[in-house]
Amino acid sequence: MAAEVKPIPNAIPSPHAAEEEDLREHLMFDPRPREEMNRMVMDSMTHTTPRYWIVVGILAVLTAVLLYGVWGYMIFTGIGISGERRPNYWGIFIVSLVFWIGISHAGTFVSAILRVFKAEFRRPFTRAAELMTTFGLAAGALWPLIHLGRVWVFYWMIPYPNARWLWPNFRSPLVWDFMAITTYLLSSTIYLYLPLLPDLAMARDRTKGWRHVVYKFLALGWRGTEAEWFRLRKAINIFAIAIIPVMFSVHTIVSWDFAVAQTGGWNSTIFGPYFIIGAILSGVSAVVTILIILRATLKNMDYFIRLEHIDALGKLLLVFSMAWAYFFFNDYMVSWYGGSEVVRTILTFHASGPSAWIWYVMLLCNVAIPWLTLWSKKLRRTPWLMLIVTLGINVGMYFERYTIIPITLGHQRMPFDWGEYTPRLPEISLALGSLCLFMLLYMLASRFIPMVPVWEVREGQEAHQLRKVGKTVVPSVSELE
Amino acid sequence: MAEETNQGVWGLVIDLNLCTGCNACVTACAMENNIPWVGEEDAGYGRSMSWINMQRYWEGEYPEVSPSYQPVMCQQCGRAPCEPVCPVFATVHSESEQINLQVYNRCIGTRYCANNCPYMARKFNWFDYAYNIPEPMNYYLNPSVTVRRRGVMEKCTFCVQRIHDGQENARAQGRAVIDGEIMTACQQACPADAIIFGDMTDPESQVSQALRSQRKYVLLEELGTQPKVTYLKGEGYYGG
Amino acid sequence: MATSVVHMALFKEEQLDEAAEAIQVLRNLGISDKDISVISGTPFSEKMLGRPMAWTSIPLIGGAGAVVGFLVSVFLNFGTPLLYPIQVGGMGLQTIPTSIVLTFELTMLGLLISTFIGVLVETISPSYGPRGYDARVTDGQIAVLFSSGAELDASLHDALSHLGAEIVHGAEDKKLWP
Repeated sequence: MAAEVKPIPNAIPSPHAAEEEDLREHLMFDPRPREEMNRMVMDSMTHTTPRYWIVVGILAVLTAVLLYGVWGYMIFTGIGISGERRPNYWGIFIVSLVFWIGISHAGTFVSAILRVFKAEFRRPFTRAAELMTTFGLAAGALWPLIHLGRVWVFYWMIPYPNARWLWPNFRSPLVWDFMAITTYLLSSTIYLYLPLLPDLAMARDRTKGWRHVVYKFLALGWRGTEAEWFRLRKAINIFAIAIIPVMFSVHTIVSWDFAVAQTGGWNSTIFGPYFIIGAILSGVSAVVTILIILRATLKNMDYFIRLEHIDALGKLLLVFSMAWAYFFFNDYMVSWYGGSEVVRTILTFHASGPSAWIWYVMLLCNVAIPWLTLWSKKLRRTPWLMLIVTLGINVGMYFERYTIIPITLGHQRMPFDWGEYTPRLPEISLALGSLCLFMLLYMLASRFIPMVPVWEVREGQEAHQLRKVGKTVVPSVSELE
Repeated sequence: MAEETNQGVWGLVIDLNLCTGCNACVTACAMENNIPWVGEEDAGYGRSMSWINMQRYWEGEYPEVSPSYQPVMCQQCGRAPCEPVCPVFATVHSESEQINLQVYNRCIGTRYCANNCPYMARKFNWFDYAYNIPEPMNYYLNPSVTVRRRGVMEKCTFCVQRIHDGQENARAQGRAVIDGEIMTACQQACPADAIIFGDMTDPESQVSQALRSQRKYVLLEELGTQPKVTYLKGEGYYGG
Repeated sequence: MATSVVHMALFKEEQLDEAAEAIQVLRNLGISDKDISVISGTPFSEKMLGRPMAWTSIPLIGGAGAVVGFLVSVFLNFGTPLLYPIQVGGMGLQTIPTSIVLTFELTMLGLLISTFIGVLVETISPSYGPRGYDARVTDGQIAVLFSSGAELDASLHDALSHLGAEIVHGAEDKKLWP
């Protein structure tokens, strides 16, 4: 057979050329001059089309009407315009709260956990994910207020010295919630801001007019001295490590809103990790959704955000979908097997009651579809398909919370007081309004904040190099920190 | 804050052998405690405000059915699940009456207490029902009881205003409260005398005597909520 | 140092080795490390540039904030129930399991907020060393700032140009923050 071996002509001149060309699809091996990257990011920020302003205008009107208009009306008439009733005292309001707080977890997950574990693919989209956290919390923090029967006295939950020396009840999960969301909102906003400083300085040097004034103020006089970089790195490291337990605590506490109650179907010790995994699943899905949209609509983003990133996040999604299924099964199985009559009734009702379709859609979107599609590298690199899968996961996660909250509440220990809950128009309008608010804030921010942390991308590109191993080249990453 | 001293443990016993499910207690309670009517539509939707739920269960197969009735109000738990979950201490345990209080002015309407009440005894003001009572009708409002606004949780208080009234009368006359002197509105209205109210620490009171019955049980005892309402098991003599 | 002028040697992005070399050259010419500072658009550690380590008190400030947060949480958990004792759900007035939640949150809040305050204070407080700025730094260029007397000008110019630096004499300090 040896006589039939023919040399491949093209391979002779440079055996590494093909491999090097393949690696160019990775952002880290496709460096461009810093000046050009800066210009691309500045361009993406200042470039707006009429289509952009039309969408922003529509979203602004929708937010004003669907969210603030209806909310104002509800404050003046009463919670009764929602579909809530005895025994479903919590409905869409709390479902949306849990949903948005869950969404907000991925920013920190992507940015902090991947940073601590030095996952290099995170670099170009940490900013996009952190923004999602901040705005997800902004949308989520509205819900406990919308939900209140008397929102005008919400400040009674804040610990402050008053004439009667009456303080909030620090044994209530709602006060924990309040403190945890406040902590998380403040720290995630700062965590967004700190790595932004060098990019704000970059924007300051390249703008005139009002933008220059604002960036100059926000950049805090950043020059890029050794001491500044050193301080920034120190502070980001403290944040990245400290914000992870805060993130876990926030969704654990949200789950304790349910788990500490003796309500059937809620009193479960596994709710903490179950909710965290669900939050990360829905949050990472939302990051993928946003990255695909940014890539398609924001100028120059196709250089920074590539199929490799969607691919990598797709793998994470598969892992979290499996983890979610594990926790779901665990919760279900144990409660059903050893559970009391009330829990067993509730679980049966989830799967066979009149709203069982919600339960099946949840399983379809969270388990079946991701498991069937995300195995394939080819499918993970198909943006439109990933868009559908990730939107589906978020629908599934919304339905998961819907199953846990109003449907479970409707079947408690007094069969005479069983009831079902159907959301009414004002509630649905508020839920859509908060989605519009989130999109509006995100769209406005995309033209105001450098969406790509240029210095982090640059740092990554410097850390990456090709190493020759035998007859081929392999990527190698050095630790610059 | 004045020192609160224990002035008896108030308890309610409902004899289901005597209860006919006539709903007189529900009506009397509404009149005594300024409970508004919510209109046909909202009542049908499950938003009626009455503090007593007349639970009615059918037994047997149609047409051979017989109803059983059980009035369920706030059970005034000793270890109430509704209390610790309130963020602003709007529902608290009263040391002097050993009952569960709802502080309307403090309530911000999170509705968590209602979710955590296994007896479903709590009612929420979905709208300003009490303020929409038409002109002459609002004269029925009891001046001893707060009129609740929208967004506030409420529930049975064991007619705490009547308890205080009775105690003050007795103190003014320089004597102890006599058993049977303090009556809740539901007890007063019950035509079958199925509801007994009194001090459970006095072994001779009617309540204490009823509590020695073999038929007594409390709702959802396994939850460890230590209710102050006790039922005497009915034997199905009444009704259809 | 009244007679000294701030000079700036700008190196291209990929000329990190030359920049590090230039710092050594300046040192050989008798300019001490405190009269040199390096500004760059991407983080380079002191080790890469062969410079003395910077120092920061951010971890200290953060730690102090954590302690404050912890103390506040102790007051809220165990102090406020005594100010207005209210019994709920048959629980004690001061319950340890529930207090852990708030203790954790407030300690973390103290840590994170004061870390940020540390950054803020250290960034806007005056720094020592030669000042000066050039917008090309955010384009990735590395600027070595140093102050020296006029007598060294010629030798500096030679040595640094040889390394491929673009030299700006008398670099100006821009007012970058209101």
